[in-house]
Amino acid sequence: MLLLSAAHCQVCTWQQGKFSAAEFFTDNAEGYKAFTARMQICRDPVYLLTDLVEEDFRHETEPHLHGKDRTAVIQRKLEQYYRNTPFRQAVTLQRRKDGRHDDEMLFSALTHPELITPWLDIMAENCLPLAGIYSLPNISLPLVKNIASDYLLLLSWNKHTGLRQTYFDQKMLRFSRLTPISESNSFSATVETEAMRSQQYLKNLSMLSPEHALNVVIICHANDRIELSKSLHDDSEMHYTYLDIQELGGQLKSKTIYPDSDATLLFLHLLASHPPRNNYATAEHTHFLRLLTIRHALFGLSAALSVASLLVTAAQIIAGNSLDEDSKLLTSKSLQLTKQTRELVNTLPKTSASATDMKTAVLLSRKLNAIFPPPQNLLKGLGQTLEDFPNIRINKITWQPGLTEAIAGTVSPQKMIAGTLPAQIILLNGELEEFSGDFRSALDHLEHLRQALIQRGYSVTALTLPLDISPQGNIAADTCDGSIKPATFSLKILWQAAT
Amino acid sequence: MNIHRADFPHLKWSLLVLLSVLCAGGSLIILSHLFVTHAQTKRAHAQHQLNDSRKQLATALQDQENINIYSAEYGELVKRNIIGDDQRLDWIEGLEKIHQQHLVVDFKYALAPQHPYISPTPLDNGNFTLNMSDMTLQLDLLHEGQLISFFNALHRDIKGLFILDHCTLERSADSSSSTQLKADCGGGWLTLKNSSIK
Repeated sequence: MLLLSAAHCQVCTWQQGKFSAAEFFTDNAEGYKAFTARMQICRDPVYLLTDLVEEDFRHETEPHLHGKDRTAVIQRKLEQYYRNTPFRQAVTLQRRKDGRHDDEMLFSALTHPELITPWLDIMAENCLPLAGIYSLPNISLPLVKNIASDYLLLLSWNKHTGLRQTYFDQKMLRFSRLTPISESNSFSATVETEAMRSQQYLKNLSMLSPEHALNVVIICHANDRIELSKSLHDDSEMHYTYLDIQELGGQLKSKTIYPDSDATLLFLHLLASHPPRNNYATAEHTHFLRLLTIRHALFGLSAALSVASLLVTAAQIIAGNSLDEDSKLLTSKSLQLTKQTRELVNTLPKTSASATDMKTAVLLSRKLNAIFPPPQNLLKGLGQTLEDFPNIRINKITWQPGLTEAIAGTVSPQKMIAGTLPAQIILLNGELEEFSGDFRSALDHLEHLRQALIQRGYSVTALTLPLDISPQGNIAADTCDGSIKPATFSLKILWQAAT
Repeated sequence: MNIHRADFPHLKWSLLVLLSVLCAGGSLIILSHLFVTHAQTKRAHAQHQLNDSRKQLATALQDQENINIYSAEYGELVKRNIIGDDQRLDWIEGLEKIHQQHLVVDFKYALAPQHPYISPTPLDNGNFTLNMSDMTLQLDLLHEGQLISFFNALHRDIKGLFILDHCTLERSADSSSSTQLKADCGGGWLTLKNSSIK
């Protein structure tokens, strides 16, 4: 943490709310040399807080713009007001609720860059990561945000710079000034005098209306408060409020002991713990901080990638080991089964053909025997039936496998599956003995034969009958001829062995 | 933010570390991936081996069952010369013996050359080739019972598989002859040749 005043630069380190002993470097060649040596051993981000007289504030109302237009307007204003310094900034305070809803802006700058540049050059030479260049008024807002006053003058004392007065109008920074305190004047006397002057100055600039009282808030030690309260008295225009520096530090979680009203460490702590977004540093000034950020990001990325790759590797190794275990288990099972198979094969008798061939040959022979049944199987039922019809004389009987015939379910041979046997076709030619010309009883008799065969599982179709009485049949007779023609018939009988 | 060449010395170690991590991490991931891939292949191979072993055991069990069920019947087929080549001499001798038994009045036969058999219905041949030696028979019979007796003797007494394909049984036209019936039958001797046995 660096506190830069007109005469010197104060350096201390801040860690978890505690400050190291302050080192002072004077604004001369000797001081620069010592500062260079100090900066060479510093690698952490540096916050530079300025407390200079040469800081200017301008309150402006600008049209509400966005993007490039807004940037151009701000840049033009900054060039107009603060052409000679790079340490300048513009902060939007609020948007007006009346008129065009313009933006109220505060333009400010450190107007004497020569006071800052030598220190910055040393830091740049040593590649120090500068986090920002802040001014004491710009970081003071958190100290007053809880004080219920619209017109507030914050007074703080820095042992090495003087009395800092910062004016807030409705919690918005409007103006600040630094007054060196000479050794001849006491703290309380200077406060009283300078507060009155500031009030007068604000009134002259119309920043404070005559009807409004100014609330003067003084950061001081408990010891100084007694003296201050004796000399400072409230009236219709001025009200005095005291902020105990130790209590204030406690509220900001500072672990520093404040022996007097010097608020230097309080402000440095405030900056370290609540650094505001806006500051006077340009991109060029904070170049090394950005490099540091990139470096940290790259290291972080490296760490994340390391962890990720280790996790992925570990997961893959675990998965691989698990698969290896599985493989071993499967191989072991496989060996066990192979052994079991070998033992079983050894117990099998030595045969001239394989077991599968044996099965095939046996099933083939069974099938062939079923397709071509012996004649007694075929004719047994037929013979038994004909015994019940003694007047039927068989002249000719023919049988053969019917490749396209089937009793139940007509299936073509191409579609015939193994196991389906073809039907046997029996063609039976015969005649009725002792036929007297009674066609009706002859046909009835043959119908009885047909039914008897059907009952024994045959499928019977009459091919020819003694008399064709169908509508398509031709019937011719010579009534003069007394001879009786034999009553011949032929039947087509299908028989299928049970599968 | 612009980064210039002059800034690289400030970033070199972090870049080197990142590069090293990328190389090392990438290598680790690739190696471990190879390890997993190898393990997966090994497991797939082991699974395949196990499946094969299971199939072999199932086949052995099936063989055991088939041998128990079919070996006796297969032995009978071998004994009857159904498995193997034509045994024409056996058939002729067998027919001559039947002739001497006078089961029919008379019969004639003719054996044709062997040819591959084409079944009227689909058959699962497996390793077997089916060959057929066609035989036609003309028989003179006193009654139809002689036909049945003849074929029963043919099946019973002659080694081989004779299949009777068709038959025509007709009354003899000559009423003065002692022969009452004439039968004209066709069939053949079937043999099964195992093509897997050289």
